[in-house]
Amino acid sequence: MSKVVSLESAVERFVPDGVGLLAVGGMHLHNNAMALVREVIRQHRRVRRLLTSPCGALNADLLIGAGLVDEIATSYVGFEHLGLAPCFRRAVESGSIRVLECDEAYITHGLYAGAGGLPYVPLPVGLEISDVSKVNPEYYRMVEDPFTGARVLSGAPLRPDVALLHALQADERGNAVIAGAHFVDRSMALAAKTVLVQVEEVVGFGEIARHAPGTTIPGFLVQAVIEAPGGCHPTASHGAYRYDEEHLMTYLARARDATGVASYIEELVTGQSEDGYRAATAGRVGALRYAPAAAAASATPGEATRR
Amino acid sequence: MTAGDGAAGNWSVGELMAVELAARLRDDDVAVMGTASALPQVACRLAQLTTAPGLWYVAGGTSSVNPHLDPVVPSCCDYDLLRADTALPLGDVVLMEGRADVFSVFFAGGLQIDAHGNCNLVSVGDWSRPSLRGPGTVGLPFLSRVGRVLIYSMSHNRRTFVERVDFLGGPGFLGGPEEWSAAGLAGGGPALVVTSLATMDFDPDSLRMRLVSVHPGVTVEEVRDATGFDLIVRDPVPTTVAPTPDQLAIVRELDSNGVLKGR
Repeated sequence: MSKVVSLESAVERFVPDGVGLLAVGGMHLHNNAMALVREVIRQHRRVRRLLTSPCGALNADLLIGAGLVDEIATSYVGFEHLGLAPCFRRAVESGSIRVLECDEAYITHGLYAGAGGLPYVPLPVGLEISDVSKVNPEYYRMVEDPFTGARVLSGAPLRPDVALLHALQADERGNAVIAGAHFVDRSMALAAKTVLVQVEEVVGFGEIARHAPGTTIPGFLVQAVIEAPGGCHPTASHGAYRYDEEHLMTYLARARDATGVASYIEELVTGQSEDGYRAATAGRVGALRYAPAAAAASATPGEATRR
Repeated sequence: MTAGDGAAGNWSVGELMAVELAARLRDDDVAVMGTASALPQVACRLAQLTTAPGLWYVAGGTSSVNPHLDPVVPSCCDYDLLRADTALPLGDVVLMEGRADVFSVFFAGGLQIDAHGNCNLVSVGDWSRPSLRGPGTVGLPFLSRVGRVLIYSMSHNRRTFVERVDFLGGPGFLGGPEEWSAAGLAGGGPALVVTSLATMDFDPDSLRMRLVSVHPGVTVEEVRDATGFDLIVRDPVPTTVAPTPDQLAIVRELDSNGVLKGR
């Protein structure tokens, strides 16, 4: 049975209001599953706890700006060289959001632990020095290493209730291929209880099998595939189009205060369907597309394996 | 931005910093860098093409191995960085960052950098109710694991260069010699700090930051004024060697979009 569903029904069916741990994939200004994020905002789904990859960006900032997030577990929310994340910053500084401070190693290994049913994951000696673990006792604890007796830092497994991910393509059975960098998106897919994948394009069954193992998410982990061409905009979609710096700068300017981000959301998110957003941004996405040669020249890990 | 921009040379501060960092890289180094790391990427590529052909470098979230930088891009997760010798999954890089024997150089920075080279990208003021919330710490806690930490900052001012970080994200020499030796960390600690104004290292006894050279057109007084702690200064202070025409030509061929110029 086909897993391809509309964006509206995917969020309606699989993202409960008050979702316990919602993971958003992509990293920095790349592969943010923005069509799914925007639909979560349209359907006003509250998020008890949001989890980012090691570096969240607009995916997290917009959900926070919409006032939907109670707590965030992250090691970074920002816009890299473009600036700080305005809504995240405002929410933390005003105390309206609770931060579960994480570092990159914990998010990576914690998802691995979640994916593998590991009760907890010990972390490299030295990571206990930073203040990160000291302000987040919910996720980090010191334990005794049963082999040496030393006290070592460990992290709790991360098992997202729902993961919102982006991939370049998927087939109707939910097999998906991530082009370019995977960041920790595959780990999120492995660890999450429910996985929603938005793709640039749904392809015929068997197409995904042409890609190297290790570049894909197998369909048995995926609950829903949503065809959302241009759906990462204004972030980049690896293998398809670059990020829209002008739009992102406009967002950063508008989101500088609560009124501004509310008007951005009303105008561009809740005030229209995703089809409307797509129609309005199709020209910009088209202009940001990678030239076919540039896309083919990339040395993705998968392609290197295949050679 | 500084006098170095115009009067003293036709290079930008970013270009000078890349050349200055490149001079500290060795032929047997394996370097790793993260968020917004165009500048150290250029330093590594320049070193590969000149003084350290055996160097390896792994760039940011794409975990590209020796990205070709054709051209340099500002985001560390950019698809264009995958034009590289090869690439790893990010998880593999994070995994191996936990070992002290894979990466010999880690590039770091922060909203705050203190007298002992500790870095903070998390928060200014009290963590639970900060006056400035930064983005977060990403991989900086790994600074305790690597051989040499090279710190770079385009913001040499008293808000960034403070006596003590408000939040310890990336460990430097911690509270000084006693705390540092008691911690017994695998890494060698911060080795060098290159900023928009000057190059600094650490006094071997006090493990406090000390001036190595001021960039062309910058005075020692300017650096002192822009630093929020007592910088160790030994007279006379030399001037940072300006990029050679050959070095600049390589940097500009890589950075045809002027990413380092815009910073």
